[in-house]
Amino acid sequence: MTVIHPNMNDESAKIRARDVCVFYGEKKAIDNVSIDISPDYVTAFIGPSGCGKSTFLRCFNRMNDTIGAARVTGRIELEGENILDNTMDVVQLRARVGMVFQKPNPFPKSIYENIAYGPKIHGLADKKADLDVIVERSLTRAGLWDEVKDRLDDSGTALSGGQQQRLCIARAIAVDPEVILMDEPASALDPIATAKIEELIDELSGRYAIVIVTHSMQQAARVSQRTAFFHLGKMVEYGPTSEIFTNPIEERTKDYITGRYG
Amino acid sequence: MNSPATTAAGSAAIAPTRTPAFEARLAKRYRAERNFRLMGLGAVIFSVAVLVFLLGNMLVNGIAGFQRAEMPVTINFVEAGVEGDAVSLTAPTALQTLEMGGLPDVVEFYAEAQLGEDAARELSPDAWRDVAAALMADPALIAGTRTFQLAASSNLATGLAGEGSPEMQALANRLVSEGKLAKNWDWGFLARSDATSPQAVGIWGALKGSILTMLVTLVLAFPVGVLSALYLEEYAPKNRWTDIIEVSINNLAAVPSIIFGLLGLAVFLAIFPNMRSAPLIGGMTLALMTMPVIVISGRNAIKAVPPSIRDGALAVGASPVQVVFHHVLPLALPGMLTGTIIGMARALGETAPLLMIGMRAFVATPPDGFTSPATVLPVQIFLWSDEINRGFVERTSAAIIVLLAFLLLMNGLAIYLRNKFEKSW
Repeated sequence: MTVIHPNMNDESAKIRARDVCVFYGEKKAIDNVSIDISPDYVTAFIGPSGCGKSTFLRCFNRMNDTIGAARVTGRIELEGENILDNTMDVVQLRARVGMVFQKPNPFPKSIYENIAYGPKIHGLADKKADLDVIVERSLTRAGLWDEVKDRLDDSGTALSGGQQQRLCIARAIAVDPEVILMDEPASALDPIATAKIEELIDELSGRYAIVIVTHSMQQAARVSQRTAFFHLGKMVEYGPTSEIFTNPIEERTKDYITGRYG
Repeated sequence: MNSPATTAAGSAAIAPTRTPAFEARLAKRYRAERNFRLMGLGAVIFSVAVLVFLLGNMLVNGIAGFQRAEMPVTINFVEAGVEGDAVSLTAPTALQTLEMGGLPDVVEFYAEAQLGEDAARELSPDAWRDVAAALMADPALIAGTRTFQLAASSNLATGLAGEGSPEMQALANRLVSEGKLAKNWDWGFLARSDATSPQAVGIWGALKGSILTMLVTLVLAFPVGVLSALYLEEYAPKNRWTDIIEVSINNLAAVPSIIFGLLGLAVFLAIFPNMRSAPLIGGMTLALMTMPVIVISGRNAIKAVPPSIRDGALAVGASPVQVVFHHVLPLALPGMLTGTIIGMARALGETAPLLMIGMRAFVATPPDGFTSPATVLPVQIFLWSDEINRGFVERTSAAIIVLLAFLLLMNGLAIYLRNKFEKSW
């Protein structure tokens, strides 16, 4: 039932999910999804609203734990380690798997504090000077340094929407994660800010494994190299982005790509 | 029937929003809005008028309460032979030493000489204590001469106010015309404590009692309230038990305050039987009453913190405790402070529960600690308003002004703290 294009399951996969199901109470939101996420590419999850793509994404850093009624079964391996295991340290997992949300959510603190918060709580910097280096590096990688270097003490919430979202990306990369999850990171932004975020995703790919959920097929086509199509809680098709968009195997994928539903 | 012709004819006639009936309805809507605004404005004006009347009345009466009838008496301590030096006058027994040394007689002698016999008789019997207090504060006075403004008796003060017996009024008028009696600003009112004569009373004892009681209430109710709110909102599982706890807390906030007084009487005074009237027990009783208010407002403030902030903190790897103390608490604190101040303001004005635990005792000295007998401002006001002596009416108003000023101070502090911690997101 799930169509997986050839060469998608490789030995070097960063995340290996097997038979993952997510239940919200009685309702099955994700049904038996297995997928390998490559460390070298941007992987996009697409699909109509309510298809479970965000729910599945939130399994990778166990954010579903914060929803009392949610239950996850199956295996998700991060470099061979099952992160769904009870012995998995969630705090450490979230330091390794960063996340950027749909709505920019900077802390109501200064720009500097926003970036420095993660490194501080994880003890990644001993001295103020080390912290300064991390803040500058993270903001530079997020393409925000030149815009904010003179006002690091201003509140993060005073920035524009697009800047706030790049601040959140900088916040995520400040703790040097291995994977960055992005849950519709540009859906609340205008086209110019969206273009900047997409450019940024392009620059960050390769350094971090990036998984992005988007409801914009154009965006998936622009930024990702791998695409998974979800429908009604199931993964319908997974393959190279170019293949999915030009040569989908499944009928449902074709219908969605051509805009017949969704 | 729905032919194009009829539709065209209908729209050609008049659009439904341009008919006279529609305009009449529109006018009615505007009228309803205007009436509502006038009613609201009327309500605001009425409450402001009542408030202004209340405060104005209080102020006019209260200003007189901050004054007292005094007579000037000049005392030459050297000539009178009052004994004492820096050591004996600063000793704890100085008051007794001065009394034994005949200071009351000295004061009476000079008063008779300077004011006349009839006026000296109307000097407050405690007038010599003011002289003694001045000597104890500044022992160097013993080597010289000093004019004191000494309190008149409450009868003479009533006479000065144009009331009481005709003889007293006549005496008061004569003394005023001779410059021997006047109403002076009485700063001592803010420094003395309760007394039997309205001329000798002060508010400091009750004010200090209130401050000590409020400190106990704050120290007990604020941490317990905030931590309960945090636990219930952030950690407690949502089940039948937490539902019961929530309902209980909501009910606790609505329990009549005298019930808390009974609880204090039955429980706290049973545990600490020799602490009747103590600020510690009063504060514990009021803390029981204040805590539910802090819990409820605290939970609402925590609920108002956007979940996205929590998600953001969790996603960078903050532990649940770090999320609470680094992000949720700072954002919820302004709302919690508002709830705290509402609870504290209610506790400050509370009389009934404190009557139950004995804080209505006559306490003539300010409390020196949390365990010594004390009274509080609203109870003091209640006690004075019960007095027969005419002079207490003005003193009561003055005490109310002190209570309101204390309340304003507390509210001002809360607003300052809230603005300091308030952040936008």
